[in-house]
Amino acid sequence: MWNKLRFIAGCFALMLGPAVDAAAADAPRLIIGAIYVGSVNDYGYNRSFHDALTQVAKDVAGVKLLEAENVPETPEAERIMESMIQQGARLIFPTSFGYNDSGRNVARRHRDVYFEYPGDGDPMTNFGVFFGATQPAWYAMGVAAGKMTRTNKLGYVVGLPIGYALGNVNAFEIGAKSVNPKAKTVVVVTGGWSDKAKEAAAANALLDQGCDVVGMHVDSPATIIQTVEARGGMSIGFQSVEARALAPKGWITGLGFTWAPFFTEIANSVIDGKFRARAVYQGIGKMVAVAPFGPSVPPDVQKLVTAAAAEIADGFTPFTGPMIDNQGIERIPYGVKMSSDQMGTFHWYVDGVIGKVQ
Amino acid sequence: MTTPLVLGVLAGAILSGTSLLYATLGETLGERAGIVNLGLEGVLLIGASVGFAVAVVTGSAWIGLGAAALAGGLANLLFGWLVVSRRANQLASGLALMFFGFGVSALVGAPYVGAVIGGLAKWRPSWLGRLPWVGATTLFNYDVLTWLAVPVAVLVWWVLFRTRWGLAVRATGESPAVAFAAGRNVSALRYQALGAGGLLAGLAGAHLSLSLTLTWSEFMTGGRGFIAMALVIFSKWHPLRAIAGALLFGGAEALELQLQARGSDISPFFLDMAPYLLTLLVLLAWGGAGRVAAPGSLGRTFYGAN
Repeated sequence: MWNKLRFIAGCFALMLGPAVDAAAADAPRLIIGAIYVGSVNDYGYNRSFHDALTQVAKDVAGVKLLEAENVPETPEAERIMESMIQQGARLIFPTSFGYNDSGRNVARRHRDVYFEYPGDGDPMTNFGVFFGATQPAWYAMGVAAGKMTRTNKLGYVVGLPIGYALGNVNAFEIGAKSVNPKAKTVVVVTGGWSDKAKEAAAANALLDQGCDVVGMHVDSPATIIQTVEARGGMSIGFQSVEARALAPKGWITGLGFTWAPFFTEIANSVIDGKFRARAVYQGIGKMVAVAPFGPSVPPDVQKLVTAAAAEIADGFTPFTGPMIDNQGIERIPYGVKMSSDQMGTFHWYVDGVIGKVQ
Repeated sequence: MTTPLVLGVLAGAILSGTSLLYATLGETLGERAGIVNLGLEGVLLIGASVGFAVAVVTGSAWIGLGAAALAGGLANLLFGWLVVSRRANQLASGLALMFFGFGVSALVGAPYVGAVIGGLAKWRPSWLGRLPWVGATTLFNYDVLTWLAVPVAVLVWWVLFRTRWGLAVRATGESPAVAFAAGRNVSALRYQALGAGGLLAGLAGAHLSLSLTLTWSEFMTGGRGFIAMALVIFSKWHPLRAIAGALLFGGAEALELQLQARGSDISPFFLDMAPYLLTLLVLLAWGGAGRVAAPGSLGRTFYGAN
């Protein structure tokens, strides 16, 4: 019986053979591999990458996209990237901050495969780094929140207190204070980028303690926005502008990543053989976009926020000295401006933020 | 400690504690029959994912809730078949069930990640909502599972300690050989206890996805199954004490976040660890009576007939 089955299986393989040959005739010019730490349907970080890469696959001829979701930030990620390379991938996007080591390890073993990693660190010959400069952009969000709040208490949920997240919080508070000197930002850390139950409880805690506008830096804003919306609060989204669909009443505005133009440039450079590994950080107008405003935002607030966003796109940075942190220590001296590659170095909260870094 | 902090912690404790209480009650039923189910985490996840998936597909959170309970019951019955009929080692089978639950829940839930549902409807009696301090919080604004949490705990206590079936189940847990000699069907009783416990565990998982977070993501229970197992011991296998345990742990988790929201000077990393530290301390202080309070044959396979 087993021999009969083997025979039948062999016949099937023969039948499929010509089909495979036909497919090989339309071989893609470039196979892109992407690994995500969560699900692409998260209305957030992972979705922003998925949306951009599917856009690239549509815009650039001959691109095939391989994706793997829920890849843990462990050496397991290396295994998945290796298997994508075996399937012919020549451009890999390890899309989470925690894939730094695994991505670089695989890059060292395959010098003919190119990598683009969202984070920091030095580029290698086949390993570029990039990120959206969200920190200055949160200043505009702070302006929106500072104007919309009635309790002068803004809430912020942080997943893990990395430098970039602290920078986002600081810019948010600075922006809020610029239009509302009484505004304070309360920070709650959940301890992980994607712990839904904790995020719901954190949002509830912020609302219980009097905040009426909540922003966040977690992988998916969905749970927080829904919790805040259910209790009648206002929300500012992050990671993906699509999140506004979750809060028809309380949405103020938000930030989302628009990676597609940059990714298209990278894909074309790999196809043309002209890949250059760089560290690229772009802000509003390029990699970061401001989401449309919600129905409750009055036109004068919209004008203020749009003006702030335009200033930032022109190069304004909110991190200009003198700046004191919330313990009273001076962190930026008079006349000094923090540069964009220092955005990952924050280890303090600016005065006005209620929270403890560690 | 001011009123908003205390109320906030209480509100958070009740919300977080609901799923913990149902999970603890479910595990208590099984352990009272002598079966320790280490796979509780997997059963919670199966309940959460099936409940969410069915709620998305049918558009009704109620049907999702029912499906979650059924799925939890089936998962426990499968476990029951392994440990009762096939007489497999309970600890190993429980861990296998846990991993099975991880995989099945991820498989079932994957197509529905990111789907938006209405969730279980919340309801608060209007006279309570008008009380000062209460109106702005989540206090007393609960869905059906939270409203019924304490009544269900009382029901489980009553069934275990005031009915003949409950007596038979407890006898099976203390000494199946004696129960068998007295004419009880040990296997049937264990299946029934596990099935009922699975229903409750399925509801516990569903509360997470259909009410607390309104979403599904892999491993979203975050270790609650294991906390529930510790709570079973803390409550000395007694459903009414489980209420206190669930409130305590739910409160610890809520306190951690409320303190941060209040601007406490304690490190957020330390606060993150606090609920688990509390569980350890509580077990150290009150878990010592485990020898005396545990069902006599907990974890032991019965090799007699039927």
